[in-house]
Amino acid sequence: MLDIGSLTPRDALGKALADLGDLRKDVVVLVADTGETTRAKFFAERHPERFFNVGIAEQSLVGIAAGLALAGFMPYALTFAAFMTRAWEQARNSVDRMALPVRLVGTHAGFADAYDGPSHQALEDIALFRVLQNFTVLAPADSCEVYRVVTASAALKGPVYIRVGRDFHIPSTCELYDRFEVGKAYVVFDGSDVAIFTTGVVLPFAIEAAQLLRDRGISAAVIHFPSVKPLDYAAVEKYASATGAVLTVEEHMVYGGFGSAVAEYLSQTRPTKMAIMGLKSYGRTAKSPQELYQYFGLTPENIAARAEELVKLK
Amino acid sequence: MERGGVSELDQLVCKARRYVVLMAGYDPGIHLGSSLSVMEIVAALYGTGRVKFNVGNGAHNRNYFVLSKGHAIHAVYALAAAMGYLTLDELRETGSLGSRLQNHPEVDTPFVDVPNSGSLGQGISLAVGLALGLRLKGERGRVYLVVGDGELDEGQSWESFAVAAHYNLTNLVTIVDLNGVQLDGHSEEVLRKGDLAGRFKSLGFEVFEVNGHDVNQLISALERAEKSERPAVIIAKTVRGKGVPAIEDTAKQRLSRDDALKYAGNIC
Repeated sequence: MLDIGSLTPRDALGKALADLGDLRKDVVVLVADTGETTRAKFFAERHPERFFNVGIAEQSLVGIAAGLALAGFMPYALTFAAFMTRAWEQARNSVDRMALPVRLVGTHAGFADAYDGPSHQALEDIALFRVLQNFTVLAPADSCEVYRVVTASAALKGPVYIRVGRDFHIPSTCELYDRFEVGKAYVVFDGSDVAIFTTGVVLPFAIEAAQLLRDRGISAAVIHFPSVKPLDYAAVEKYASATGAVLTVEEHMVYGGFGSAVAEYLSQTRPTKMAIMGLKSYGRTAKSPQELYQYFGLTPENIAARAEELVKLK
Repeated sequence: MERGGVSELDQLVCKARRYVVLMAGYDPGIHLGSSLSVMEIVAALYGTGRVKFNVGNGAHNRNYFVLSKGHAIHAVYALAAAMGYLTLDELRETGSLGSRLQNHPEVDTPFVDVPNSGSLGQGISLAVGLALGLRLKGERGRVYLVVGDGELDEGQSWESFAVAAHYNLTNLVTIVDLNGVQLDGHSEEVLRKGDLAGRFKSLGFEVFEVNGHDVNQLISALERAEKSERPAVIIAKTVRGKGVPAIEDTAKQRLSRDDALKYAGNIC
């Protein structure tokens, strides 16, 4: 068995799709001139008759995927997350209103494409897909989870948005659990003073932050939410109640994303001291995503500092 | 008269046109002009049995109908009534909250293979995806796609027509309802469409140009389009508001209730 954790997230994505294509003959894959860069080519090499390149045309990508779903197929449409959002209205009108089983996979999400700058860095996609009534929204943390989420997504009803990076990831879920369950949060550390909730690739930063906090005598729970929607409300409730302080961390705008989803729930059920960490501006060109995490303050040190502040406010 | 024959179709069209005008009297919210321009096109498809009003789910090797200009759905309702698949009582309720006859094709709208085409250009991608999927499944059915000329302003339209040509979707027959009028007025003033036939030909389509109010011409073009070894498009020249002089060839979609009832009485 290949060690998925050693693959890059996009290689894990391509492999997951190719393997899924072996299992399910109804899976078709579409790209918008992004077969190479999303690694959808792994699927194309194994299942050429079920692979379609529609050219650099995201609206058509999403609409044609919806048409294939009407014909009874389960389409996976892949392009950069930043450009998938260009077809948001198609996702709404052609996919979501019919609750079609279309899977939109936005790659190079967050700062994954540091090199190409803010035009290519999707920091709003969670918010945009989360607001659509029928969409499931998934943000795996590493390659192991990309593989699990993509293969498990075939069993989901209705439309799905999957947020995937490019090459950067720190394996952190490979040993955490075996089977992905939609709508379930995974407990990395239990804790009593503060709960750090994460989604996507920032999970290892939160793990490191919890270790820093432990050295300062603060007990931090780290809970990982690969499903932004449906959200594991029971886990949110449990750790908000156990710690009385919730810090959310995401590689996304602090508006409308994962933190907002947690806040929407807690503010109406169990008002809790809370802080939302993420981005408040567009990104910029850099040599690596890691440089951008540093530049924009998405670091273990900053997560620990925010958590500590929150504990003091209790 | 032979069923499906041209003079029978002409009578159907006439009756359906009267029903659309009546519907406009009951619900001023319907897009009367657009429904009138597309009437013969819809009749050439349903009236010849190419597509059917009473198709069960899961039927194989059947043809599909996609009305990308979803606002003209009342032409379909009217024709369905003229052919006995809807009652006049139901037509009267169109656009009402409790009616299944909504003013754009929705998931629960009857006779609609591909709902949610209200947002212009999107029905084209849906039809192309459907045709691609039917071919992949080995289904013999065709997809008949009806588009407005106005919605060809949408970039998405050409994105997906290029895919239809690239993948040589011979099971897709597109009909353009070329009435030359859109929301803000005549296309010549709003946004020129250029040489439409040339645009399609350059992508690899086989193009047929007909008078869209002549059922005979439409049927003969459909027969040729179905034999084409390339994706085919029939450019059907029409008049928006056809049959109601007060709105013909204008951007007007509405009539007062009195006018609607008066005009309806004069058709056929």
